[in-house]
Amino acid sequence: MFTNTPVLKTLSAAVLVASGSIAATTATADDFYADKTIEMVVPFGEGGATYVAAKFLEPFLEKHLPGNPRVDVQTRPGGGSILGANWFEQNAEPDGETILFTTSSTSNPYVLGMDAVEYDLAAMRPAYSLPFGAVIYVSPSTGIDSPAGLQAPDMPLIYGGIAAAASDLPTLLAFELLDLDIQTVLGFDGRGPARLAFERGETNIDFQFTPAYMSQVVDMVEAGTAVPLMTGGSVGEDGVLSARDTAFPDYPSVYEVYEELYGDAPSGVEWDAFQSIGAVTFNFGLTAYLPEGTPDEILDIFEQTITAINEDPEYQEQSQDAVGGYSLLPASEVSESLSEALQPSDEVREHLRTLLSEEYDVEL
Amino acid sequence: MLENISSALAILFEPMRLLALFAGMLAGMVFGMLPGLGGVAAVSILLPFIYLMDSYSGLAMLLGAISVIYTADTITSVLLGAPGSPASAPTAIEGHALAKQGKASLALGVGFLASMVGGLFGAMILSVAIPIAGPLVLALGTPELFMFALVGLCFAASMVGKDIVVGLAAACFGILLGVVGAAPAAANYRFIFGQSYLMDGLSLPIVALGLFAVAELIGMVAAGGGIAGKPMTMGKWGESFREFWISRWLIVRSSIIGIFGGFVPAVGASASTWIAYGHAMSSTKDKRRFGKGEIRGVAGAEGANNATVISDLVPTMLFSVPGGPAAAIFLGALFSFGFYPGPRMVSETPDLMYMIVWSVALASVMGAVLCFAVTPYLARLTRINFALIAAPLLLIMVAGAYQGTQTFGDILALLVLGVIGWLMKNAGWPRAPVLVGFVLATPMEQYFWLTTQIHGFTWLTRPGVLIIASLIVVPMLLALVRKWRAKRSSTSSDSTEQESHTARDDEAPRDTAVLLLASSLLLVTFAYAFYEMLGFRSNARLMPALGIVPGLLLSLYILGRQLYRMRQQGRIIHLGSRQELPVLAGILGYGLAMWLVGFNLATPLLLAWLLLKCAGMRLISAALYGAIVYATAQGMFALMRLTPPVGSWINLPMPW
Repeated sequence: MFTNTPVLKTLSAAVLVASGSIAATTATADDFYADKTIEMVVPFGEGGATYVAAKFLEPFLEKHLPGNPRVDVQTRPGGGSILGANWFEQNAEPDGETILFTTSSTSNPYVLGMDAVEYDLAAMRPAYSLPFGAVIYVSPSTGIDSPAGLQAPDMPLIYGGIAAAASDLPTLLAFELLDLDIQTVLGFDGRGPARLAFERGETNIDFQFTPAYMSQVVDMVEAGTAVPLMTGGSVGEDGVLSARDTAFPDYPSVYEVYEELYGDAPSGVEWDAFQSIGAVTFNFGLTAYLPEGTPDEILDIFEQTITAINEDPEYQEQSQDAVGGYSLLPASEVSESLSEALQPSDEVREHLRTLLSEEYDVEL
Repeated sequence: MLENISSALAILFEPMRLLALFAGMLAGMVFGMLPGLGGVAAVSILLPFIYLMDSYSGLAMLLGAISVIYTADTITSVLLGAPGSPASAPTAIEGHALAKQGKASLALGVGFLASMVGGLFGAMILSVAIPIAGPLVLALGTPELFMFALVGLCFAASMVGKDIVVGLAAACFGILLGVVGAAPAAANYRFIFGQSYLMDGLSLPIVALGLFAVAELIGMVAAGGGIAGKPMTMGKWGESFREFWISRWLIVRSSIIGIFGGFVPAVGASASTWIAYGHAMSSTKDKRRFGKGEIRGVAGAEGANNATVISDLVPTMLFSVPGGPAAAIFLGALFSFGFYPGPRMVSETPDLMYMIVWSVALASVMGAVLCFAVTPYLARLTRINFALIAAPLLLIMVAGAYQGTQTFGDILALLVLGVIGWLMKNAGWPRAPVLVGFVLATPMEQYFWLTTQIHGFTWLTRPGVLIIASLIVVPMLLALVRKWRAKRSSTSSDSTEQESHTARDDEAPRDTAVLLLASSLLLVTFAYAFYEMLGFRSNARLMPALGIVPGLLLSLYILGRQLYRMRQQGRIIHLGSRQELPVLAGILGYGLAMWLVGFNLATPLLLAWLLLKCAGMRLISAALYGAIVYATAQGMFALMRLTPPVGSWINLPMPW
């Protein structure tokens, strides 16, 4: 399709937004989903963060999509989300009735070009995203009280993570970018067990995604057992992952920390790699993909629905606790940046592959 | 606190919520009894329904299911000899042996009561989550978690009957199965043969189903008649109550072991049950009946496994780190209802906490009562011609396996493991160590890796590590001392005679052809795995090496010993396994048919074969019964919201 030409991409996004306002007035869109069921494919197990977020959004989509369809969240776990995404690629029709709702666990293998990947994520059409921010924090025993302290801690820094090619990747790239001396211990079962190790004092630097941070780490910060340092940041107007995370306006982004430590704005292949992976992990953390070839009418319908959900006072109230209070990003704000992040330059891709295989022993 | 306890009870005693708890219990009982469908299946099937209710009812429903799973799966373990999970394997070994001696009611009764006690202990530890359980969870560092898994594996491998060589080889094979998929230490995929299906490793329900249920099913269909061979006498419940009272302290101690199992994520019930079983063994003077129907083995194991599933909720509620797979789904449900687990939730919403405690306690007691009530009816099923039960059972197993990833890989894995289980069964090799090795391989590797990375080698001197290590070392030393004393004090000839007599009992003639085939296959597998292993990165090599290197040597020895014995005996014995071959072929054929023409077409063929040929039913009754079974199976797929396996050639679409 037109995925490799940025001009066309921008154009299509513009057309999309423009046509959205026209489509709203036509009668066909009003009841497009009447008596239909949307199958929301979550390529992870029941009870996981993605499942919970999908279930949280389910009633709002049912309420605001024209024709009030039934939304049916279906889990298809396996292969670290690759099996579910492969299934979607092979089976989903571009009729707006099957949606893939997933995270960077699906996009990272795609960006890295792993063998098991049979889906073309960049060719799919994102319908909306829910940001999934993260905060990096340290133990007070390290003597660190601000990002600058990371360069001279009182004791060696030790970080607990799951796997380099999974959700730890942006954090590891941030450490790499900031040139920090941190011992990385990978192999934890999830972010929860990694946090428990932090609480036990086995590790002393950690990060948590917003929902877990809110329910677990905020208390630790209040009790003085954790010191928040920075967030992954969010994509600003200029398309750069430099802005502050809207859920944590008090904490600087990785971009700002780099500026503070080194005086210049970050650039080069290390920054590009962090931005590419970081944007997909944080800003477009949870993204709903429609199959390749889904007509614009359907994307327009989602564009309006997402606007309506964001304005729904019930959503604003409940999202605070459930997903960190982020607004949903409509396709017009997602398509272009996400497409760029999913298709980094060959140089960035090579950098990522080399880093993973040499530093973290990842077999690609 | 007292007022919260009573107000929580009032919350739970709303008719709607009690009904939800009861519905959850029923689902938990059914899924606990069905082979291969344990807590995860029950909870994930209930999950969509809880969103139709208010939060307390929805959570009560899930808790009802979680609390009775291990009580109900005692029934399958005892009557069928097929454990639903590694945590029920001791019950299957001892309880099934008792059932064969006509003492099914004893095994079941003690099992239910021990489970109930375990559940109540779990509820108790939940009610003191903040002051007591929380600090305990934080006190268990990565090294302690590793030691717990290690001790569990040691107990399981050393308790596999007389032929320790075969038992150890089986545990090694389990480790080999367990290391399939991504390595935790280095992102290295092991033994996946380019299949993305294997990237996450094999799933536990499929391994348990394949190794045990498929093999038992084949044997029983081929043998014809009922499960018990002859009508199974249940015996009276009275004896079980007496035996329960005699073993009460053992059950209490096992429940405490089980509680600690719940604090150890991923290892949990698999290790704690075996540790409790080992404790039952070391605290029993006369150990000869272990493996041949020892009720104390059932008491220990059942007390521990139920305590573990409940205390799995402690890390879930306090740290939002689920202790087990069912607890993980429960955690998701909590999030969905707007509860965010953590110390704050526990202290700020005491009503919720005590509602959970009450639900668990109530369900544990009611579950045991219900199990007592339904068992006599279920026991009658064991007299029916097994081919009739085999049909729905096989379909349930297919559905249970297919729930894994909903790809044909699930079915294939089930069949391959089924063949392995069948070979092992006919070779007379224990299968429980395979299951335990499989479950513990990954967490052991992970915790060992994390431990050495974080602590270097100083972890060996941690007090927690030493305490847990003493669980292995102390009984071992005691046993050595006892042996040494026995040797010195008496050299009575009758005891050695008795021993040689029991040894001869174990040497019951086995199918030499199957033994030869199984030993050769084992050797080839380990040899290939060894070759493959050499290509792994060093960080990904340690755990496979721990299984493969001894496995290779042991299997070499087993094959050599087998060849030597055959030369001595000078003949090849063929036994029952030959009659089972057509049934094995039939089931493999069903798998092939499913691949070619899909579940919807292949299943009627299977039913026709099972009901007409194997069970010898008349055409009309077979058609009627077959139609009912088929409709139920389709209903089950619909309930689990799965599309049955689709054929690669043709696919028969269903009207719904």
